[in-house]
Amino acid sequence: MANDSNGDRSQQWEAQLRKGCLEMAILACLWQSRLYGLEILHSLSAKSNLDVAEGTLYPILSRLKAEGLLQSEWVEAETGHPRKYYWLTAPGRRRAREMADAWSGFATKLALIVQPVVGNHVTAGQGGKKR
Amino acid sequence: MTAMAMANETTASNEMTNPRIGAYLQRLDAALAGVPATEKGEILREIETHILDSCFGAQDPSGTLDRVLRLLGTPEELGDRYATEFLLTRASRSFSPWLLLQTCWRWGRLGIKGTLAFFIGLFGYGLALGLTVAVFLKPLFPGKVGMWIGSGQFVIGITDHPEATHELLGRSFVPVMAAAAFAIAIGTTQALRWMIRKRSRADSPRRVPT
Repeated sequence: MANDSNGDRSQQWEAQLRKGCLEMAILACLWQSRLYGLEILHSLSAKSNLDVAEGTLYPILSRLKAEGLLQSEWVEAETGHPRKYYWLTAPGRRRAREMADAWSGFATKLALIVQPVVGNHVTAGQGGKKR
Repeated sequence: MTAMAMANETTASNEMTNPRIGAYLQRLDAALAGVPATEKGEILREIETHILDSCFGAQDPSGTLDRVLRLLGTPEELGDRYATEFLLTRASRSFSPWLLLQTCWRWGRLGIKGTLAFFIGLFGYGLALGLTVAVFLKPLFPGKVGMWIGSGQFVIGITDHPEATHELLGRSFVPVMAAAAFAIAIGTTQALRWMIRKRSRADSPRRVPT
């Protein structure tokens, strides 16, 4: 019972962590090129392991556009129907940089704290194998 | 092209390609009540494009469509998310107490912060309204309405036993309470706007399946 409870909490914590990073990850995806919704989903999944549901992504894109961080344009595609491409506006690029800087500093410092935990985990695993 | 025309074209093209997509978009159209027509047309068109793109070239089109529609959520859930995002964005720039309260009520369905914001708004605006009513009643019932102290009680508003209490402020009641009501209303508005602007982005999506 206690193990189940701890497992649930661990999953909830991880889900909250992923949610908190989502906006930054979306903005970062658009840093180098214009992408449409499905490409953003694939990019998030491939590069960050963030498997975002479609029903979650599109309302966020809509909000980021309303906030002036993104701009969009319909472009005809070879599939026969147009696609809505998004790109970062100047405020969007500023926001992405601020978030990335904050994240980078935070992650670097936190990595120092968790290093012994991760190190012990590896050592314990190796020790177990030796025995 | 107008939003309505875009929406109609979207629905019409869907009905030709797949009735399930058309039905999904029609329900989404209904669920987006409150979203401006221009935005609604864009949303319907984008969701249609997403479904078509996801199913394009799929070996099992029916199974793929099932999966795509499941990941989008029901049209009502998706419409609710769009409408909430739209309201939050609009409210963060608004000074309308009604819009701010309405938005916080909706936001409250997504998390505890929204619920807290709603109750702060309800208390703040309720207090400001109560004081405003007292300001208007004071000239009509000067002997009953005011700020009263005595007999172990402190009352702002109407007292049934003015003879047992002492009135504070006197003629200053109206300007002081009017100023207080105004300050409380402004303070509540700014607090709600601040909470909405500073809201955790994590509150926006309901779930991020892994």
